[in-house]
Amino acid sequence: MRYFKTRAAIILAAVAVPLAAAPGAGMADTVRIGISAALTGPAAFVGVSIRRGAEMATDAINAKGGIGGKKIELVIRDDEHNPVKTVANHRELVEREKVVAMLGTTNSAAMLATAPIINDELKVPVVCPATDATKITENKAWEQKKDNYVFRLGMFGRGQANFLINTLVKKFGYKKVGLLTWTAGWGVTGRGELNRRLKELGMKAVADETYDTADTDMTPQLLKLKRAGAEVIVNYGLARENGFVARTRQKLRDKTPYASAWGIAAPAFWKAAGKAGEGIMTSTTIAMDGPQSPERKAVIDEYTRRYKEKIEGPPFFFAAYDIVHLLAQVIGKVGTDPNAIRAGLENVPEFKGLIHHFKRPVFTRQRHDALTEEDMILGRWTNGELLQVMYDGSGPHVVTGDGKKRYIDTKTLALK
Amino acid sequence: MEFFLHILISGIATGAIYSLIAVGYSITFSTMQILNFALGMWVMIGGMLTLTFNVMFGLDLAVTLLALIVVMILLGIVGERVSVHPFFRAGSDVWVMSTLAVGFLFINVAELIWGRNPEPVPPFFGDGIIAVGAFAIFPQQLLVIVSALVIFLALHLFYYRTLLGKAFRATAHSSEVTSLMGINTRLICVLSYVITSVLAGVAGFIIVPITFAEAQMGTVLGLKAFAIAIIAGLGAPRGILVCGIAYGALEGLASGYFYTGIRDILGFSLMILVLFLRPEGLFGTPSSERA
Repeated sequence: MRYFKTRAAIILAAVAVPLAAAPGAGMADTVRIGISAALTGPAAFVGVSIRRGAEMATDAINAKGGIGGKKIELVIRDDEHNPVKTVANHRELVEREKVVAMLGTTNSAAMLATAPIINDELKVPVVCPATDATKITENKAWEQKKDNYVFRLGMFGRGQANFLINTLVKKFGYKKVGLLTWTAGWGVTGRGELNRRLKELGMKAVADETYDTADTDMTPQLLKLKRAGAEVIVNYGLARENGFVARTRQKLRDKTPYASAWGIAAPAFWKAAGKAGEGIMTSTTIAMDGPQSPERKAVIDEYTRRYKEKIEGPPFFFAAYDIVHLLAQVIGKVGTDPNAIRAGLENVPEFKGLIHHFKRPVFTRQRHDALTEEDMILGRWTNGELLQVMYDGSGPHVVTGDGKKRYIDTKTLALK
Repeated sequence: MEFFLHILISGIATGAIYSLIAVGYSITFSTMQILNFALGMWVMIGGMLTLTFNVMFGLDLAVTLLALIVVMILLGIVGERVSVHPFFRAGSDVWVMSTLAVGFLFINVAELIWGRNPEPVPPFFGDGIIAVGAFAIFPQQLLVIVSALVIFLALHLFYYRTLLGKAFRATAHSSEVTSLMGINTRLICVLSYVITSVLAGVAGFIIVPITFAEAQMGTVLGLKAFAIAIIAGLGAPRGILVCGIAYGALEGLASGYFYTGIRDILGFSLMILVLFLRPEGLFGTPSSERA
């Protein structure tokens, strides 16, 4: 009996101590920011990039004394890219961990499911660095003009499709656009957005091909696009399958210009495609290779020092880095009340981030997407590096590592 | 015509992958009348072991293949012992679930060990292409086709020219009578499972440079291979070779002349149609003869 009592006491203590200590430990003297993201699973490179971006920003801010003397404390949860877990994590972060703001997850479907819960129940602002479904920010609360707690500093679906089609049609001058999209979730919405934009411009895809995850040889699709006379192929998909596309292009000696949405704007694409990836273009929010601003270079160098590798998901890493800085700036001004932070985010007149220098309000009450179509960029895979495509009187070009300007042949996307 | 031939070549190359996997279903089926439903996942393990031995440890391909075969033999013995033998002996059909359970276990373990990012494995003969005029094929794809032919030929010789092969066929015909003739049918069962396991591992080894190593690399392939084994007839290895290649070619032509989304509708409809009209498969012998 006595044995059981002792044992019960130990168990009770073991359970009770962390329970009492964990929620909001040191709540008074830190500012708690929550993150739910896929840290394991197929999207782990996105989640890990978000976590590292947030951690490096937090360390930088805390090293300078934090926010008005209070240190930032990150509370991080893995949701495995699973919407059910994302919803549960956000609840836990707000209700138990008492975070005052959050960074969004890696999965659009998960964020779409979470947004109404944030707006109707939790009422703590979330800024998304990765998920690009348009309706995440233009959600029900936004439609009903109620307080909207969901923000985004990253790509959004409608904007990305508009940007890609506009750039290729207007800046590169292509008239016959063919589509090649992935049949899984993200590719399907992307295909819809691309077709919508083409229709708005009075155009129609000359061929509208798809592939699924089991396709390793894209010969039928690429030949059909060629047969249809596509002057450019626009893709919505991820690195692995685009690696197969690149290799099939090499096999068919097909030089049709090829551009993708940001699923290939990370080193994983070059790893999958190898040299066959040369010349392929992608929309993105940031091109990490080529000449960089001193601020960006310092962060990239620090990353390499810390993790001894290349940034796996640059758009997500830099977005998370910027979001934590933006939140710190707002919290410094309005304090830690979540509703005040939401209102504060809608009132940042200027912000110098690493992805973009906002010389206009970052968000407004009606516009919860920080980046507009004009802020998106096109990158060209050049010898393993993703270089930003720029334009002047003589057409699109990239600047290589040695500082040389190289113009792009719009017939093949080769460098002149 | 050029369009047709391009698609035909790439379709045959893809079809050879299906054949290579599908033959595994027939071996255990003809001896024990059971299937390893998770064959695709065993193929994946072969791919992952190739990644480990060849890419991570830097062993050369021959050593990689040898080490892989050893691991697959062990896995085959254990797999048969835990997921087939207990239920098979009791005359239960639970092996349907237990072989699948082993497959899902493999996926989860693979994700734990190797992560979930697709990892490229370099093609055995480099990045080049073999071009003949306007047509081209990757050396690795050619290797898949050649390997499929060699493996089917070897199986044929094994079944019809070796004593052990004859014992396999006898067990397939009647396990009881064979047992009475002094042949250890239990050993034959284990052996057939091990051969299936090794073939799956070798298939994974050969196709992994094409598919990349990832936990899900065999899942859809295994399913398609299963449809092909059903269409050809589970007891007909030669039929499986023909059907696999034909299936790949048809898939290619369907996406080339209609659209990509129609492939699986056609393929699986064909499977149902064959099941309906010829349950023993296009190349199978009616079960009344076998039983």
